[in-house]
Amino acid sequence: MNVFPQRSRRYEKWRYTVLYILIVTIFGFFLLRLFDLQILQGSAYVAQANENRTRIIRDPAIRGTIYDRNGFILAQNVASYNVVVTPGYLPRDEGDTQSIFRGLSGLIDMPVNLGDTDEETVRAFTPCLSELGISEVVFIASTNWPYQPTALKCNVPQEVAMVVMENREKWPGIDVEITPVRQYPTGELTSEIIGFLGPIPAILEDYYVERGFVAARDKVGYAGVEQSLNDILAGTNGLRRVEVNVAGEIIRNLAEPIDPIPGDDIYLTIDTRLQAIAREALIDEMAFWNNFAGRTISNNGVVIAMNPKTGEVLALVSYPNFENNRMERVIPGYYYEQLSNDPQRPLFNHAISAEHPPGSVFKMASALGVLNEGVVTPDYEIFDPGIITVMQRFYENDPGTPRQFVCWDRNGHGMVDFMWGVALSCNVYWYKVGGGYQDEVPGEGLGIWHMSEYAKALGYGTLSGIELPGEQDGLIPNPTWKRINLGENWATGDTYTAAVGQGFVLATPLQVLNSISTIANGGKLMDVTLIDRIVSKDGTLKQELTPSYRWDITKDPVINIYQGNNPTGETKAVEPWVVELANQAMRLVVTDGTASRYEIERHKALFQNDSSRSAGKTGTAEYCDDIAAAQGKCTFGAWPSHAWYVGYAPWDDAEIAVVAFVYNGSEGATLSAPVVRRVIDAYFELKAIDLENSQ
Amino acid sequence: MKNLRNVWQNFDFWLFGAALILSIVGIALIRSSIAGNIELEDHPQRQTTFLAISLVVLFVVAAVDYKYWITLIPPMYFVTMGFLLFVFTAEARFGAVRWLEVGQILVQPAELAKIVIILGLANLFSNFKQKSLNPSMILRSAVFVGGLLIWIFLQPNLSMTIVLLVIWFSFLWITGIKIRYILIVVAILIFVILIGALTGFAFLADYQLQRITNFLFPDPNARYGETYNVDQALITIGTGGWYGQGYNQSSQVQLRFLKVRHTDFIFSVLAAEFGFVGTVLVIALLVVIILRCFYISQNAADSFGSLIAYGFGVLIFFQSAVNIGVNLNVIPVTGLTLPFVSYGGSSLLSLMLGIGMVESVAMRSPTRA
Repeated sequence: MNVFPQRSRRYEKWRYTVLYILIVTIFGFFLLRLFDLQILQGSAYVAQANENRTRIIRDPAIRGTIYDRNGFILAQNVASYNVVVTPGYLPRDEGDTQSIFRGLSGLIDMPVNLGDTDEETVRAFTPCLSELGISEVVFIASTNWPYQPTALKCNVPQEVAMVVMENREKWPGIDVEITPVRQYPTGELTSEIIGFLGPIPAILEDYYVERGFVAARDKVGYAGVEQSLNDILAGTNGLRRVEVNVAGEIIRNLAEPIDPIPGDDIYLTIDTRLQAIAREALIDEMAFWNNFAGRTISNNGVVIAMNPKTGEVLALVSYPNFENNRMERVIPGYYYEQLSNDPQRPLFNHAISAEHPPGSVFKMASALGVLNEGVVTPDYEIFDPGIITVMQRFYENDPGTPRQFVCWDRNGHGMVDFMWGVALSCNVYWYKVGGGYQDEVPGEGLGIWHMSEYAKALGYGTLSGIELPGEQDGLIPNPTWKRINLGENWATGDTYTAAVGQGFVLATPLQVLNSISTIANGGKLMDVTLIDRIVSKDGTLKQELTPSYRWDITKDPVINIYQGNNPTGETKAVEPWVVELANQAMRLVVTDGTASRYEIERHKALFQNDSSRSAGKTGTAEYCDDIAAAQGKCTFGAWPSHAWYVGYAPWDDAEIAVVAFVYNGSEGATLSAPVVRRVIDAYFELKAIDLENSQ
Repeated sequence: MKNLRNVWQNFDFWLFGAALILSIVGIALIRSSIAGNIELEDHPQRQTTFLAISLVVLFVVAAVDYKYWITLIPPMYFVTMGFLLFVFTAEARFGAVRWLEVGQILVQPAELAKIVIILGLANLFSNFKQKSLNPSMILRSAVFVGGLLIWIFLQPNLSMTIVLLVIWFSFLWITGIKIRYILIVVAILIFVILIGALTGFAFLADYQLQRITNFLFPDPNARYGETYNVDQALITIGTGGWYGQGYNQSSQVQLRFLKVRHTDFIFSVLAAEFGFVGTVLVIALLVVIILRCFYISQNAADSFGSLIAYGFGVLIFFQSAVNIGVNLNVIPVTGLTLPFVSYGGSSLLSLMLGIGMVESVAMRSPTRA
């Protein structure tokens, strides 16, 4: 002890005291902070910890299959095989991992290494699309989501997938993921009906996420029934609340998992065979006339076939359309752009969304009104000189300005009664009864208010309710509409043009078909539908077509009675004999009227064959849109026109009604009527075949 | 030499007991921290082995009169400097170079430096008899500390540098530095910070600068960025409540959301699994150790012994305060571990060696503890 110097100096007490104060202050502060974190804010941190460890997994529901009425597949899910890697399950040994990569590399044709990764490649990483080697993908995945499978190669052939699956034991961490891809076997034949799928749009993300969809994974319908019936087809994703660790590895279920509910299968009313025939007939007819004229008359048309008794749509062709089988996996950008920029608007469903003047087909609305209101009797004959001049009046004491109205046949039809007015589609007859003419048809004739009532009774101006997105309601004008939208009073001439489906009147091809179908069906305006039945995946029938109608015009008082410009509040129905006479008149169109003539040898056999006993109405609707105006075609008496024809058969008990519309098709009788007649004839042939097969 | 039995009568059981309990609590928490990580699986075993060795060292050191260490100070000083120079030129591990591999065991020479500095400064200042320090004494102590500190600073190991600077300053404080000198130093510090602000803190390594920036200006959107560890530590502490979620029961720990949980953030593990009560108890144990060190310092037989106990008391106080402060997100992240509790063989060994020396001082003090 004494070898060391004795150094006994006492250090100042206050300097120790300062340290004691420091200890109390610092640890005291820590205790306060701990109390705040653990006791006061504890529940908030517990919530955060729970959020950390909880993950919601939405197992995908299988989308329903779409069939036609005969069980023919129009949209289905097929397996797509993706080779995936879960880095967390790869062997620990670097050599083993490398040998797996080498074995896999040759099989899936993907290099083991392909340059370095930097921040940019990691940020831009998209499985299957990024140009990376296996090692790079594994590196990115293992640093970000080591326990989630990441796709190395998407859509490998089935044989490759089988080899990978056989090697599962030998290659831990490598697996095959089977994802469903929507396939459209019929492609552009039915694309305007079926539509296609696309990613959930950002603007609707909240809506879909709320309903259990996964934004980056699940797809939703973008067009056709894929869109309109998405809720039925999509099903409900499963719901699992699981506990995960920091690497994303699932530890256990936190709640009873809810299995996904698969979407229902839908059988459409479409008959794919008839659809094919309708499309072929339309394209063929247009090609023939384009070739015949030596110029492009039209590349745009519509054919719709329905059963007037039930409202079932059997075929719906909008041409041109698109190839939805090119959009099965992704929507290719260049293709979508090409479709969007096409002036014929292939993405637009012309059958239900295009509004055109219906032309002479609309005369059937006027026809019902003229007889039902007693403007003339069916036998009353009116003189058609081929051209008439009317003093156009905009108001009560307007002295008027003269305006000429012509019949399509400038020579005139002479004396014309109701039946021939329909059969010959005599414009002058309809001008006079529609808007009144001197002493022949005193007063204002049917008048615009009543005319619009009968048009609406036949379904014009309202949506048909077909299960397709984007349907338009057309336009049935009246004086109020004109004042509001054009700032002009209604003139006598406006009634004249409206009476023959020109001027302001607009309708979609589906409305035109439905209006004639209503007359063919004895006055019942059917609810148009595309759904035959809905069957759940386990086979239970969830919904079956029960034909329903909006109203029966011969029974339901759907016609408002007008006094001048004002409704009287009284209503009435259409007399059944009026509907029957309209029906007979349309039969006369086919036997002796505008649809009985064939101008060309090609149609001889078709037009002479009356085995289907059809009736119909032609329409040649003059128009002047931007395209025609740009070509300088809009000159008086020489306007371009669309070709319309609606036919149904058999005329006295119709079970098939077909409309054909050809844009700029010149004349209904020559361009559209042959299409309709071919579809009608084909319908009966198919019916015979089905009958034979079922026996 | 006094009767040996009498010497052991003065053995401070409070100090020893608190250190032992903390070490055992530490091993338990390290075991909980494994949480399925295979690399950590043998850590409780290793820490237990180190604790056994450390206890032997503690008793041996306690038995030996602390004054014998005086002759060992110069050789220890130069051996430590040699180690530091070797590490300085060795390969990089864990970002900065701090470790020396001796067989299977990683030795951190900086741990050795702490003991040498405390012993050296205790010896140096105990020779100084005046009531207040003169500049030449301050300069001599600065040269002594600086000889080791420069290499640690250059590693770079900022936290250990700060620890050594704090120890040095604590010695200046207790041996009677004038308040006016402190004010001058504070003024210089402010000046340095101002210069630093103007030069963009070029003298700090990138990661050090980033840690300070992250602490001062955390990015509110950085859910998984640089603030991840601290955020998770706060969540982990917060889930503790009054009594904790139970041993091995914290989801934050067991599902490994908390990182570096066996060393830097072991306090968070404690807080989550044993709650407010557990943290209060552990802090109390640490305070017991620190207060016993200071008590022994105030009652030591001579000024050398007094300063040894004081130095280790300050060391444990500072490391505890910094580590808990990091866990509670009140100071920036540093690499300092929680004394006795955190995983780390050389750290535990040097701490127990220090406790052994303090015990040696206590056993040889005139007043009974």
